[in-house]
Amino acid sequence: MTLSLAATRSPAPDLRRMASDAPAFTILAILLALGLIPLYAAMALDIRVFQGESPWMKPVKFHYALGVYTITLAFFARYLPEGTRNGRTWRWFTAAVVFAIVAEVVWLSAAAMQNTASHFNTEVPLFAAVYPLMGAFATLLTSASLVMGILIWRNPATGLPPAVQLSVALGLILTFALTLPVAGYLSGNGTHFVGTSTQELWVMGWSRDAGDLRVAHFLATHALHFVPVAGLAAVWLVPAQAMRVVWVAAGLFAALVIFTFVQALQGRPFLPFLG
Amino acid sequence: MLTDPHSLFQLTGPLAILGWLALVFAPLAPRLVDAVAALAIPALLSVAYTALILVNWSDAPGGFDSLANVMALFTHPAVALAGWVHYLAFDLFVGAWITRTARAERINHLLILPCLVLTFLFGPAGFLAFTALRAAFAARARMTEVPA
Repeated sequence: MTLSLAATRSPAPDLRRMASDAPAFTILAILLALGLIPLYAAMALDIRVFQGESPWMKPVKFHYALGVYTITLAFFARYLPEGTRNGRTWRWFTAAVVFAIVAEVVWLSAAAMQNTASHFNTEVPLFAAVYPLMGAFATLLTSASLVMGILIWRNPATGLPPAVQLSVALGLILTFALTLPVAGYLSGNGTHFVGTSTQELWVMGWSRDAGDLRVAHFLATHALHFVPVAGLAAVWLVPAQAMRVVWVAAGLFAALVIFTFVQALQGRPFLPFLG
Repeated sequence: MLTDPHSLFQLTGPLAILGWLALVFAPLAPRLVDAVAALAIPALLSVAYTALILVNWSDAPGGFDSLANVMALFTHPAVALAGWVHYLAFDLFVGAWITRTARAERINHLLILPCLVLTFLFGPAGFLAFTALRAAFAARARMTEVPA
C-alpha cells in the first residue's frame, strides 16, 4: 500500500496568515461578503424582473465569485517569495486588482439599480460606453492568478511538497489561461446562451435546453481550486507518482473546460440529466 | 409583504422604539444597550435604507438641488420611506451617542432623558439641548476648578 497519510501530513495551514500575507485581498473578500447583506435586502424589496430573475441575482453571484477568488488569492499569497510579497511592485499590483474588482461590483450593482444589463449592454449609452472598460478590468483582475502562479512556480522556498507547489502554480496559471479565452468569447457573444434557453439549473442557473457559455467560464475560473486539490490528493495517495498525477489532472481539467466550451458553442446544455 | 413600502413602514417604527427604550434604561446595562442602540438597530435600519435606495433610486422623481425637487422626491412612497428610515437610524445613533457621552462625562442620566425625548421626536433639537447641557456642565467644572 502506498497509503502513508501520517508520513506526508503537514500541520494545517494557519488561515489567519491571510491577513498579513495579503491584507488588501483579505479585506476585500470580507467586504464582498458583507456587501451581500444589502444586496439580499434589495432582492427582498424589489419586485422588478430582469431577464426572468431579480436584477440583484447577478451582483449577488459576482460578490460570491469574486469573494471566493480574492480569499483564495489571499491564501495562496503565503507561497509567494517573501521579498515579492513585501515589495512595492506587488503592493501596487494588488491595489490595481482590488480597484478593478471594486469597479466591477459597483458597475454590476449600478446596472441592477437601473434594472438594465451590465454585460452586453448596447442600449443605455453610459453602460455601453463602460462595457469595454469593464472587460479590461476583468482581464486585470484575472491576471492576478497568472502572476501569482508564475511567482509560486519559480519560488524555491514555498515549503510545499513539489507536487503540491506545482498544482498550486498550475491551477493559478490555468485559471488565467482558460478563463481569458472563454470569458473573452462570452463577452463578445452578446448573451450567455447559444440557442434559446427556457429552463435553468437550480442555484447555478445554467441552461437545461441551450448551450450555456457560463459553464466553461465557471470551471475555468475554478482551476485554482480543482488542480491544487488534485495535487494534495496525489501527494497523499500516490506520493511516488505525484508530479505526474498533477500534470495529468491539470490536463484533464483543461480538457473538461474545452469540452464544456465546445458543447456550449454547439448549443448543447451541460449534463442535461441534472434537471 | 416587504415589497410594499406601507407594510415595511410598520416594521421600522417598533424597531426604532426598541432602541430608544433601551437607551432610557441604559444605566442598567450600558455596554449591551450601546451595542443594541448604537450598532445593531442602526445597522439594521441602514440595511433597509440602502436596499430601498438601491431598488428605488433609478425611478425616483426630483433631486437634491431645489426644495421643489426634494419635495418631489418624497412623493415616491418607497423613497419617502427611505427618508423616514434615515431619520430613525441617525436619530437613534445620535441618541446612543448622547447616552454614551453623558456617561463618560458624568452627567446624570436623568438629566439627559428630556434630551433623548427631544432627539426621538425632533432630532436636531435634542442634539442642541444636549449640547447646551454639556456646555453648562463644562462651564460649572471650570468655575469650580481649584486653581493650581
